[in-house]
This record gives sequence, structure tokens and C-alpha cells, in this order.
Amino acid sequence: MNDVFITSTGAFLPGPPIDNEQVEDVLGLVNGKKSKLKRRILKSNGIQKRHYAIDAEQKTQFQNEDMAVAAARQCLERSFIDPSDVGMLSVGTTQGDMVLPGFGSLVQAGLEIPSVELNTSHGICSSSMMALKAAFNSLRLDEHDNALVVGSELASRLLKKSRYEAATEAICSERIDFDAEFLRWMLSDGAGAFLLQNKPAPRGKSFRINWMRSFSHADAFPTCMSVGHSGKKGETKRWQDYTTYADAEKDGAILIRQDVRLLENIVKLGVDGFLRLIEEGQVQADDVDHFLCHYSSHYFRGKIVEMLTAGGAMIPEEKWYTNLYERGNTGCASLFIMLDEFARTQDYKAGDTVFCHVPESGRFNTVYVHLTVVEG
Amino acid sequence: MENFALEGLSGEGEAIDEVTENLNPIAQETLRNLLRVWLDFEMRLGKVPVLRRLDLGTFTRKDYMRLLMNLRQQVIEGSRWITRAASSFDRSHAQLRSIVIGHAKDEHKDYEILEKDYVALGGNKDDIVGGERNLGSEALHAFLYHRASLPNPIDMIGAMFIIEGLGEKMANSWADKIEEQAECGKEATRFLRYHGENDETHMQRFYEMLNMVAISEERSKRIVKTARVVGRLYAMQLEELDIL
Repeated sequence: MNDVFITSTGAFLPGPPIDNEQVEDVLGLVNGKKSKLKRRILKSNGIQKRHYAIDAEQKTQFQNEDMAVAAARQCLERSFIDPSDVGMLSVGTTQGDMVLPGFGSLVQAGLEIPSVELNTSHGICSSSMMALKAAFNSLRLDEHDNALVVGSELASRLLKKSRYEAATEAICSERIDFDAEFLRWMLSDGAGAFLLQNKPAPRGKSFRINWMRSFSHADAFPTCMSVGHSGKKGETKRWQDYTTYADAEKDGAILIRQDVRLLENIVKLGVDGFLRLIEEGQVQADDVDHFLCHYSSHYFRGKIVEMLTAGGAMIPEEKWYTNLYERGNTGCASLFIMLDEFARTQDYKAGDTVFCHVPESGRFNTVYVHLTVVEG
Repeated sequence: MENFALEGLSGEGEAIDEVTENLNPIAQETLRNLLRVWLDFEMRLGKVPVLRRLDLGTFTRKDYMRLLMNLRQQVIEGSRWITRAASSFDRSHAQLRSIVIGHAKDEHKDYEILEKDYVALGGNKDDIVGGERNLGSEALHAFLYHRASLPNPIDMIGAMFIIEGLGEKMANSWADKIEEQAECGKEATRFLRYHGENDETHMQRFYEMLNMVAISEERSKRIVKTARVVGRLYAMQLEELDIL
């Protein structure tokens, strides 16, 4: 099979950085009241700054596809290929701008690149990793000599005050409020892109993709993060089963929710996948030079460290890199935005290994990517 | 609920690092393999009907009473197999024997707490005392007793890893959910809370023992296998609640 390299990266973060004090200025005060949970959740996730594609009146300034296109353009501008030569476009997002057609079609239209093979992956944080895997495999099989991969996320539309105010019939017990509000202080917007080629870039450094693996555990765990269900016990209706979409919204079935009680499972499962890969001989903790982990919250970093240490598989913390605290948790775009910034700002050399991990709490999918730095 | 989330959110990592970093290399590898066994076990537990209901929020008081009724029949045997294991260690394992005896002493009356929980729920003490082991409990008990009766049963720490792990990692979160869903107060979750609070120190004891006994590949494999069997049979014991 062909070798595959990430030869260029790009990223796009909409608008100015928004600090913790300004978050509610953008997302809005629900029913005019300040959140009681905000401070504590922000303290624990450690995020200092993030970007939103909506303005202070909650009007959309950038569509998700606009951000995807901007990141993809930057990636192509930094590459050695002409945009018209892109063979495959593989795109992941949690939620496209339209229910249909697929997000990839809209991104292709925005990029104006002809006759590509198209893939849209659907999911949450791991959707972009699925898109990356599809592109990686296509190049390995020699179907294309390059592929443009984009992960893009516009979460703020789900987090604006009017969404919560419209859920007038949602259960208002403390727990449901917490579940529905939790992600408001976690997620933000952005996009990232990789260009994959079957040879390294002629100049500068590229990342060879050695392997990618994922382990999904939807069979063993209930849904942890969702949009489309009211969160009421025993409710079988999904958002489209309501008579009108307005009814679904009233019932809280279009709010984004995180079942916080289930959330810690993602740490265990993330470590579990890593231990499986160690067992298979795919990776060794000692051989990792750079560890890029899309943990969604600083709190989880501590938990991961604890478990890796307990399992004797700790990767020393000086090898960890993240830009979560400054760029926010941009869901499926995070790892792309992270590697892009890593590539441009960090010290690394040919032969270094870069190990990436993207856990998705939706229904528990964990993804691992193993890279080696090569010099063109 | 909020407590869990916020407690979890602001929690600090526990200081197990120092203990585990000082393990010998084989113990370290054993621990890594045990952790994998544990995670598989947890995934299996996630599919056990009664625990799935607990995850989904549809667990009832009746479920809880049945859970206690079934657990009690195994718990009451706990100190028996632990003391049996202690008596199976010969003079060359005297130090280990002391630790195991200490452990048995800690645990030998925990079934009484469990019985009180059952009564607090409105159950009749005679019912729980007169209950039978379910098929999974039979298998688990037989296996543990068999292994504990062999000379120098060092692999019992694999069993300890799973059973103490349940207390350390699961008991408190189960108790939280049970109190909410079975609509009972803390007076009915004392058994789980007891293990949730004490099994962390028991785990420290576990690391100490692991370092002493995991000194060959052969032993390491046996420890891991026993842990795997215990996990499987424990899950079976809980699955039986819905097969009765």
C-alpha cells in the first residue's frame, strides 16, 4: 500500500477571541439571567479563549461551510498543489448548515473544485477522524494521489439564548438543566484542514500517517451527548417525530445535551484503546515524542494522567501539546486546529513520532492516529 | 446529580502515581494488563440489564432490593475465601499471609451492613438471610474457593483487583444513582458507601501485594487470568437478576 503524508494544514477561527467574561455577551443571557454554572464549568475545563461564528446579537456571521472553505483554502495556499487538482474531498462535521444535502457538497461548492470524489462523515468529535480515515485509505489504495480533509464545527447556533428560552416545556429539574447547559460553556466554533498526498511536500516537514484506528462502544454505553431527544425518561420520540418542529423545540428535543454522569467513561475508554494498541504492539508510551490529545476539558487531563500512570503507560506531560485553552473546544475541528498550530509553532524534527487521540463522548468512540515527521 | 458533576469537575488526581511508579517491571506490566481486563469488565457490566437500567435512569426500588438480595449471598462468602487463601500461603509467603488476614478482618462483617440496607428499604431480614446464591454467585464462589484452596494462591490478587475495584471505582457512583432512582436515602446505601470509601485504601494494599507476587511472566499471566474469570463470573451473577 502507498505511504500517505499530511503535507499541508490550515485553520480558521471566526471573529475575535472571546474571553471568559465575554461569553455570555455573545451567547446571550437566557431569560435575562446570568448563569449560575458558568464559572464553575469554565474553571474546570480551563478554557480561556474561544471563537464564535455568531455576533453579540446571535446573528450568524460565518456559515459552517464558510469556515470549512476558509480553512481548506489556507491549507491549499500553503501546499504545493493547485486547487483544481484535488482528487478527493473528505469532510466531517457535527452539524452541517443544512439538513441535506451533505456538508461536503456545500464545501465543494464553496471551494469551486471540480469533479472530486466526495465523502461526508457524520458524528461528533470523531466525524473528522472518520473523514481522515476515508481519505487515508483512498490514498493508500492508490485511488487518488491527494485528498483534502476538513473538519468544521459551528456549535454556537445551538448555544444561543433563544434555544433555551424556546424550550418552554422542557423538564426543569436541576439535572436536566445541568445536562442541557453544560456544553454551553464547553463548545465553540472553528475549522481545520489537512492536505493528504502520497509523497511528502518537496520542502519543509510533512507527517507520514503510519496508522489510524478507532474503537466505538455504542453497544455497551448509553447516549452521552445528543441533539434530538428531550432527555425525558422513557420518551421514545425523536425530534422529527413531533407533529411540528416547534413542538420538538418546546419540549427541549433540539437542545444539545451532555449526560455528565456518563462522561467520565470517555476517559476510561480512551485509555482502554491506548492500552489495546500497546498490547497489539502498535505503539509504546516511551516512543511517543509528541502527544496531541483532544481532551475537552482540563479536568479530564488530570484523569487521563492518573489512569495512564496507574496502567504504567504514562506519556510524560512535557510531550503533551494542546491549544484547547486558547482556541476552545471546536469539536471535530479541534485536532486539525491543534496539529496546524503544532506544526507552525512547536519544535519537532524528522523522525519524531506524533501520537494523536480524539475521544468522542456522543456514544463513545475513540480514535488514534500515529504520525512520523518526515523531511521533504 | 449536580454534586457529582461539580465534584467530578473540580476533583484532583489521587496520589497513586508514586505507588505505581515504584512497581517492579513485571508488576507494572501485570497492572497494565489488569487495567485492560478491568475496562473490558466495565464494558460488560454496561450491558448487564440491571446496570443498564441504572445508566438509563429506569432502575427501581424493586431492582435495588433484588440486587442486594443477590449480592448478599456472595458477599457473606467473601471472608471465607479470603481466609482460605490466607491459610493456603506457606511459610515462605508469611508476609503476604498477614496482609490477607488483615484484609479478611476488614471485610468479614460487611454483609451485615448490606442486610441493614435491605431492611431499610422495607425488606424482611429473614428473607435476605434465607436467600440462595444465584447461578452466577454459585460459579463465582466455587471458582474463588477452588483457587484459594491451591497452595500459595498468589493469583487471588487478580480477584481482589476486580472485587476491590468495584468498590473503589463503581460503588459511589452506583450509590448516587440508586439514591436518585430507587428513591431511598443514605440509610439504604451504606454497604456501597462503605466500599466506596474504604476500597481505595484496599487498593493501596493491592499495589503492595502485586509488587511482591508479580515477579515472573508465568505468575503475571495467572493473575491476569484469574482477574478475567472473576470479572466474567461477577457479571454473570448480576445478569442472573434478570433471568430468575
